[in-house]
Amino acid sequence: MTVTQAPPTTSTARAPAPRPRVSLEPYLYLLPHAVLFFLFTVYPIGYGLYISLHRWDLLSGTQPFVGGEFYRNIFTPGTPQADFFWKTLWNTTFFTIVSVPLLVAAALGLALLLHRPIVGRTFFRAVFFMPGILTVSVMGILWRWMFDNQIGLVNAARDALFSAPPIPWLSTEGLAWVPIVVGTIWWTLGFNMTLYLAALGNVPLSLYEAASLDGATPWQSFRFITVPMLAPVTLFVIVTTALASFQLFGQSLVITNGGPSRSTQSVIQYITEEGFTNAQYSSAAAMGFVFGLFMLIFTAAQFRMMARDVKEG
Amino acid sequence: MSRSPFPARKTLLALLALGTAAAPLASAQTYSGPRVQLTFLHGFTGPDRPVMESLIKKFNETYPNIQVRATAQPWGTTWQQLPSLVASGRAPDVVVINEDQITNFVARGAVSPLTAAELKTAGIDKARFFGPLFQTADYQGQSYGVPISSVAYVMFYNKDLMKKVGLDPNKPPRTRAEFLTAAQKCTVDKSGKNATQAGFDAKNLDTWGVSLYNNWVGARAAYAAILQNGGAMVDKNQNAAFNSPQAVSAVQFLVDLVQKQKVARPNSTEEAELAAFSQGKVCMFPSGQWYLDRFEQQKMNFGVTFMPRVGGTARDAAWGGSSHLTLPKQRAGYDANKRRAALVFMSWLSQPAQNLTWTATGSLPTQRAVANNTKFASAPINGVFDRLNSVYATSGYPWVGQVMAPFDQAWEAAYLGKKPVQKALNDGVSEANKQIAQARKNFQ
Repeated sequence: MTVTQAPPTTSTARAPAPRPRVSLEPYLYLLPHAVLFFLFTVYPIGYGLYISLHRWDLLSGTQPFVGGEFYRNIFTPGTPQADFFWKTLWNTTFFTIVSVPLLVAAALGLALLLHRPIVGRTFFRAVFFMPGILTVSVMGILWRWMFDNQIGLVNAARDALFSAPPIPWLSTEGLAWVPIVVGTIWWTLGFNMTLYLAALGNVPLSLYEAASLDGATPWQSFRFITVPMLAPVTLFVIVTTALASFQLFGQSLVITNGGPSRSTQSVIQYITEEGFTNAQYSSAAAMGFVFGLFMLIFTAAQFRMMARDVKEG
Repeated sequence: MSRSPFPARKTLLALLALGTAAAPLASAQTYSGPRVQLTFLHGFTGPDRPVMESLIKKFNETYPNIQVRATAQPWGTTWQQLPSLVASGRAPDVVVINEDQITNFVARGAVSPLTAAELKTAGIDKARFFGPLFQTADYQGQSYGVPISSVAYVMFYNKDLMKKVGLDPNKPPRTRAEFLTAAQKCTVDKSGKNATQAGFDAKNLDTWGVSLYNNWVGARAAYAAILQNGGAMVDKNQNAAFNSPQAVSAVQFLVDLVQKQKVARPNSTEEAELAAFSQGKVCMFPSGQWYLDRFEQQKMNFGVTFMPRVGGTARDAAWGGSSHLTLPKQRAGYDANKRRAALVFMSWLSQPAQNLTWTATGSLPTQRAVANNTKFASAPINGVFDRLNSVYATSGYPWVGQVMAPFDQAWEAAYLGKKPVQKALNDGVSEANKQIAQARKNFQ
């Protein structure tokens, strides 16, 4: 690690002390992170790629190179991988499409309400933030019970209020998403809300004052001041929430175990099943890479779109 | 499962009662080699952990030449780590492996066989254990593990409710016909009519006959029924075969209980049925024996019996799970004394006295001598002890995951009425066999 630094070309009032020609110092600062980065990110990715291209099992004497066989499985109709990978990838995407707008809009709405100086503001902030500290298993069991086909609170309430017959939430395709989406919103809303609350605190009040002098309606202030001023936070919230939603795993595992008929199984749950239940490590690794690529493209596209909005806004 | 540790005085009495069984074996498990230290990896991390730790402490005191150092970690972690531990020659000396994983590890060469001579020297007599339980760890004619813990699918029944509808609460059903009659009598609508009477309203049930539901535990009722009818999960080539005529007929009977006889609730979940049984609304609740504790604490008037022959008349059968002591494959030059000492440890831990202590965790006895102990004479669980020899685990083929996941899905589709039974099972078998075909390549 030797680096030659060009001598400073700009002359300042006080001439800088002559620097040593080679400086290791910056690299020493980078070293701890670089070591961890290579050890826990670069190396595993490389090893994962190796696994996905071989018929890999630590216990077997040979680990023959099979090239793209496990990738081909994913794109060959009729194989279990093609059937279930794309099905569960769609499930995960569907969950993201449904939950992200709700999570962002509800968080913004709550933040706007709780930003005002209302009585019990801190209490309500805590109420909405609190569920986030629960583990996914606690949250999952709670919402599974709420929506149980026979003994759930939701069906009991429907019966008590409207004498409506029970709905088999957990065993009906489509409806089984309801407890997962509702539960996830309840569980993770507080984090986004907190981000929005912090951002709202940073919007200069003078802008609103100027707007009100110009006769702007509350809606106009919101549309032309609040929304643009919050745009960078919104970008951050949308991207992190979308990525988190794509990593859906625990909620559907605990609430529906992916059922009925794999209709709520997340792609990560399926990859885990292929790897650790079926002991098909190479196949699971290949699917992991395809899914990773999918997310990379998705995030890049989202970033481009949103970044443009932020700039233009 | 919160269980108090087994009281010491009772243990002593139990040991005296077991004296005849334990005495001749005590001489067989001696170790006179140099002092060795054994590493022992197991997954008993819950309330069963202190029981295992006290057993190991006792072993270490009894055998000063062998010191066992145990590590408890979640089962899943062990399944992920074991291959790399074995491959790198750093495997623990003794590892506990469960029934659904063991054949896979055996077939992949992670576990070493226990020869007849070794078992004999160590005083481990296969005949002492329940046959199918010991065979769970067998593969291609060789033994690979010794069972120390066992759970099983049983049938709980509500004695009060059975009495109320005119059934003998001390004679739970054993055959398909008796089962159906009992279920029909127990299924009573809100106006008091039962499932055999005219004008019976299946939509407004007050009580019902049997709990069926759609998760993997629920699917184990179908597993039992298939075995009872002479069916099997895999054929002799170890391909999935749970769509045989015997299997279809057995599963059809269970699905008919929901869809035709209306003596079980449709669209139900394990939680809902568990709550209903606890509230005295269901006569018969087939499920894991691990719920015993819960019903006992509730002071319900219930009984436990072996799963009746609902599937057919070929044999008694119920699903069971088990944990086996195994010796992983070690690097060349592994200390032979360690293996001898490990066998002594396995032998000691599987002795009747130790197994009796272990039943305090909720495990079923692994052998007849323990099941006959006076401790169980008046315990409800005693109701299944006459047929513990008919508890069958999912093992014997390396791809249990590839067979059981599609099977559970097939049961779900059939129970929910999404597919006819034959089609649900056919689809499950076809999916399982595609996955088995891929898995087979790993074993070449």
